[in-house]
Parts: sequence; C-alpha cells; structure tokens
Amino acid sequence: MVITLFIIITIGFMVIRLMPGSMYADDADMTAAQMEILRAKYHLDKPIPVQYGIFLRDLVLKGDWGTSIKMYIGVPVFDVLKMKIPVSMYNNLFSLLISLPIGVLLGIIAAVRKNSIVDYTTSFMVVIFISVPSFIFATLLQYYAAFRSGWFPIIYEASATGFAKLHSLTLPIIALSLGPIARVTRYLRAELAETINSDFMLLARTKGLTEAQAILRHGIRNSLVPLANVVIPMFTHIMSGSMVIERIFSIPGMGGLMVSSINNTDYPLTLAVLIFYSVVSLVTVLVVDLAYGVIDPRIRIGGRHIE
Amino acid sequence: MSNVYSPTDPRFAHLGPEKFRLRQTDAVLLDAKFETKPIGFFRDAAMRFAKSKISIVALIAISIIGFMAIVGPYMTPYGYNDQNLDYINLPPKIPALARFGIFQGTRVLQNRRVDALSDTSRYPEGSIIRIDNRRVMGGVELCDVTVDYYRYMGIDDDVYFLFGTDYLGRDLWTRVWRGTRVSLIIAIVSVICNVSIGLVYGSIAGYYGGSIDMTMMRITEIIDAMPDVVVVTLFILYFGSGLISIILALAVKNWIGTARMIRGQFYRFKNHEYVLAARTLGANDARLMFRHILPNSIGPIITRAMIAIPSAIFTESFLAYIGLGIRAPESSIGVLLSEGQKVLLYYPEQTFFPAVIISILMIGFNLLSNGLRDAFDPTQRGTE
Repeated sequence: MVITLFIIITIGFMVIRLMPGSMYADDADMTAAQMEILRAKYHLDKPIPVQYGIFLRDLVLKGDWGTSIKMYIGVPVFDVLKMKIPVSMYNNLFSLLISLPIGVLLGIIAAVRKNSIVDYTTSFMVVIFISVPSFIFATLLQYYAAFRSGWFPIIYEASATGFAKLHSLTLPIIALSLGPIARVTRYLRAELAETINSDFMLLARTKGLTEAQAILRHGIRNSLVPLANVVIPMFTHIMSGSMVIERIFSIPGMGGLMVSSINNTDYPLTLAVLIFYSVVSLVTVLVVDLAYGVIDPRIRIGGRHIE
Repeated sequence: MSNVYSPTDPRFAHLGPEKFRLRQTDAVLLDAKFETKPIGFFRDAAMRFAKSKISIVALIAISIIGFMAIVGPYMTPYGYNDQNLDYINLPPKIPALARFGIFQGTRVLQNRRVDALSDTSRYPEGSIIRIDNRRVMGGVELCDVTVDYYRYMGIDDDVYFLFGTDYLGRDLWTRVWRGTRVSLIIAIVSVICNVSIGLVYGSIAGYYGGSIDMTMMRITEIIDAMPDVVVVTLFILYFGSGLISIILALAVKNWIGTARMIRGQFYRFKNHEYVLAARTLGANDARLMFRHILPNSIGPIITRAMIAIPSAIFTESFLAYIGLGIRAPESSIGVLLSEGQKVLLYYPEQTFFPAVIISILMIGFNLLSNGLRDAFDPTQRGTE
C-alpha cells in the first residue's frame, strides 16, 4: 500500500512537472529577474529528479506539502487542504453513512418479500437510481426542491452552522446518496435471497427462531461479507460524484479546489489534492480489509481474501 | 462352406424370402436425420434475449437515440455552432406537438407592468396568450404574462427551434444530437480500446500462469489502487482535453476489470481436454489462446462491454462538468448539461433534453447488459 502510494506520488509529480510550459509562463508583467528569484525559491530551476528529492524530503521529514503559488499565494498547501477537506468529507461520509443503513434495509425488505409488488418497485427504483448520474438528480432537486418550492437553499450557505448547515447540505447529500443506496440494495437483495434458501437458515428456523430473528442473526451477517466489496468502489464513486455536486451547489470543497488549481496552474496544490484522493481511497481499501475480520471471524488478516 | 443364409444359395432354396419376417418393421427410426436446424450459441442467446421484453425495449430506445445521433444534426438548417444573437434562449417549439398544448414556444414573464401590455413595440400583436396573478405592488399594477416568446421576440412564424436555443442562439436540437453522437463515440471507442487491451493482457496472464501471471496481476493491482479521478485527471492534464485523450483516459483503468475476467475464464478452460487435443495436434500458443480458449468468453466480454458503455458516458459528462472534458464550442452531453446548469433557474428546458437523453441511454445500456448477461449465461440470472 505504501508502495502504491509512492508510485502514485511519483507519477503525479512527474506528470505535473513535465507538463509543457512553466508555472510562471503566463505572467507577462514579471521581469526575468523576478521570475528567476521565484523559480529559485520553489526549486524550479533545478533538474526534475532533484526537485522530486526535495519534495519527498520535505514531505516525509517535515510534513511540508509545499506552498500554494497561485491561488492562495504564500499559504502552505496543508493549510488550504485543512480548510477544504472537512467540507468535502462532511458530505461524503454523511452520504455513505445514510446510504448504508437505508440500502441494507431496502435490500432486506426486497429479499424477504421477493417477487412481491414491494420487490418489483424496489428493483425498478434501483435500476433508475443506479443508471441516472447523480448530477442529474442534483439538478432536478435543485430546480424542484429548492428553486420552485423553496424548501431548501439553492446553494450551500458557507456561513451557516449546526442545523442550518445540515439543512443547506440536505439536497447535495440526497443527490449523492441515491446511487449508493441503490447499489447496496441490489447487492444485498441478491445475496440475501440466496442465503435465505440455504440449509443453516432452515436450521435456525427449526431451532425455534422467528423468521425475523433468523434473518437478522444469521442471514444478514453472511450477506455482509461480500457487501464490503461493494463499499470500496462505492466510496470512490461518491467522492468523484461529489466533485460535480459540489460545483452544482457551490460547495467550497476538494472538487472545486482541484479544478481551479488545475486551471490556475497551481501545481503544488493540484498534486496535494491528487495525493489526498489517493490516500482516501487506499485507506478505504484498508478499512474494508480490516472490517472483514470483524464481520466474519473466519477471515483474519494474513489469511486469503475472499474475492 | 459357411452356414450363413443367402437367398441364392441352393441349399436354402426351400426357404424363400417370403418365409422371413423383419422383427422391427413397426419401429420408426426417429433420428435418421434432424428435422430442425441446430441452434448455435448466438442463436440460442438471441432467443433467450428476445424473451425478455424489457431488454427489447432498451435495445429499441438505444437504437432510436443512436439513429438520431447520426441523422439528427442534419434535420435542421442550423449548424452546431451557428450563433445568432437575435435568437437567444428561445424556448422549444415543436409545431407537431403544439396543438396538444406542449412545446408551443411560450414562456411566462413574471412581474410585468400591466400598463405596458398594450404597448405593441414591447408586446407585438398576438404575442400575449394569458395574463394571471394581477396584483398591486408599490402603487404599480403587476402581473405574470404568458407570451408566445417567438412573437414576443419578433421572430417570423415559420422559424422554430425544436429544442429551443442556448445563450448564443445556437440551435439546441442540432447541439443535443451532435453531443449525443460525440458522447457515444467516446464511449464506444474507449470501450473497444479497453476490451482489446484487457483481452490480450488477460489472455496472456491466464494462459501462461505462474510467475508471468503473478507479475502481470501485481501490475494491475497497483494501477487499480489509483483512484479513477486521479488517473483521469493526470492523463488529461498531460495530454490535453481532446477527443482522443479523453477516450484513452477512459481506457487507462477500465481494461483491468476486463483483463481479470478474461484471466478467470482462461483458468477455467485451459486445462480442458479439447485444449490438450488441439495442442497434441500441433496448435501453437497463439492459436490455442485466441482460437480455442478465448471464444468461450465471448458472452461475458460482450456483456462487460455493454456495462462499460454507460460508465464511460458518465465519466465523459462528469469531466465536462468539472471543466476537464470536451471544450466548447464542440458539443457533448456533458457540455450541454454543464451549460444548461448555469441557466437552470431561468431556462430549465435547456437542461431538460440532454438530461432526458443521458438518463435514457444510461438506463437503456444497464438494462441491455442485464438482458445480455442473462441471455449468454442463464445460470447467472438474478445475481450481480
């Protein structure tokens, strides 16, 4: 995992530094001497491997991510990230947290009432929510639930706190959650429908458990293991989806930061954002790997994964 | 001299043929020749596919959109980038549907002064359709006016834009279908790239196995661990945001899933006897891989390609939304959506058509891939 992160950082750094044009190429009002000073200050005058060595040394030894050079001039990149990350993570984690239980619940209902009207309705909704991109829902919600009816603010209110903040984030979170809810529902329905017919479920009911008890204690636990596989792609999906959602609802988060840092050629910032996204997705993988052990004691770290 | 009966043998002259009787004259030989034609793999799949109504509907919807993407841009006299500042932000007007009360080219103008309504220089004759919500605010009588926006703007009656126009007066009908075409091209070409790469990579890894397989799979794991956003962003940063670089950016990570699937299929089939037989007959590795083992995977490959298309369409519009995708004036569904988003609160109809088309495409391809999976591999029905 560390190796993967190292490779990502290396490729990211190289790609960004090898891009045609200098970071200061478009600043016409700068004299050559000024440009030289700036280039020397940010080590841009040295060969790229040396730049990379300096970057890695600062990052590992001092925890120094470099300094933003265009958008937030002079502000350390780390401070910019510290400002933006909570906003994005608030959204993403919230939407993950509400979509898991709702998806699990709907999945159970659909599996238990298989081939009933409930099941068909759920399946129909699932197809729609999985297929239609989250930004279409965001647009719909913004137009109908915010603009036409006025139930929610049209864009995010940055100054709001507490309940008002949650209120202004409701629509983005709903838009982000619909897809993941559908994914979890579809997966759990398929898994649980198969589990319910297995022998140990029959045994559980034979020994006197009610159907609800049997499903809750034995059925779901078995279906959760493969579900963990779905969560990783789901979270990265939420993250990339939230870049667009943030733009639609004007939320000042990581997505907007990445785009504007690219457009403003603020490369230390771009690199930091990319590293952030990589770290988050690697951590998600790790957390899910560890969660296998908790969900299913038969799988322990060091053993083979169930793929 | 043998004792076998023969009618010409003089010893058996007293035993004429009429003394013999066939034991099984009443038995009919049923399988002398097949009455029906043999059903091949694709025919079989096609028959199962045709049974699923929902897949057929999806296929038809996709075909219609595909057809319109080809001919749509030529159905109007306007080019995709013809700007006309007299025709800005017109609402959709479809003459064939106007008598049903939709797409008449009307628009509600809010908070207009009642005393200005009779001014024919502002409201040309016949442009006002309905006046509602009269009220007095600050001593001025205001109302909401529903106008025939085309007349209101002083446009001839025979000029109409089926989907309306955008903020530069470009015909949205042309732009929407051209955008659909661009998005579909990006999706299909990138899926072809990703299937081709994954196919060759997965075949080699799966066929040779051992340390080759091990190394190749480690490489895919490393690439796979990089988040999509990061890979696509870096790729487009480096190669620019042209059509080709977006197509390739979409293929950078997606081939891995195909490669894994093919590798799995190879592990399943490479030890079968027929492969051994072919090898004994002198088939070389390439022939064994692509002629004998790979055709087993044709069903899953097609299914996978169908699943990959909607996700490619999604990523394309996602990129256009965050400003890394196709650039204006070229059109794509993502470009149209993000341009429509800017004026959503005033002209929602500009977002409506691209949103409907992308939704139908995404739902259609998802249903189609489900139908194909069930058709090619009925044992997989209902699982994900």
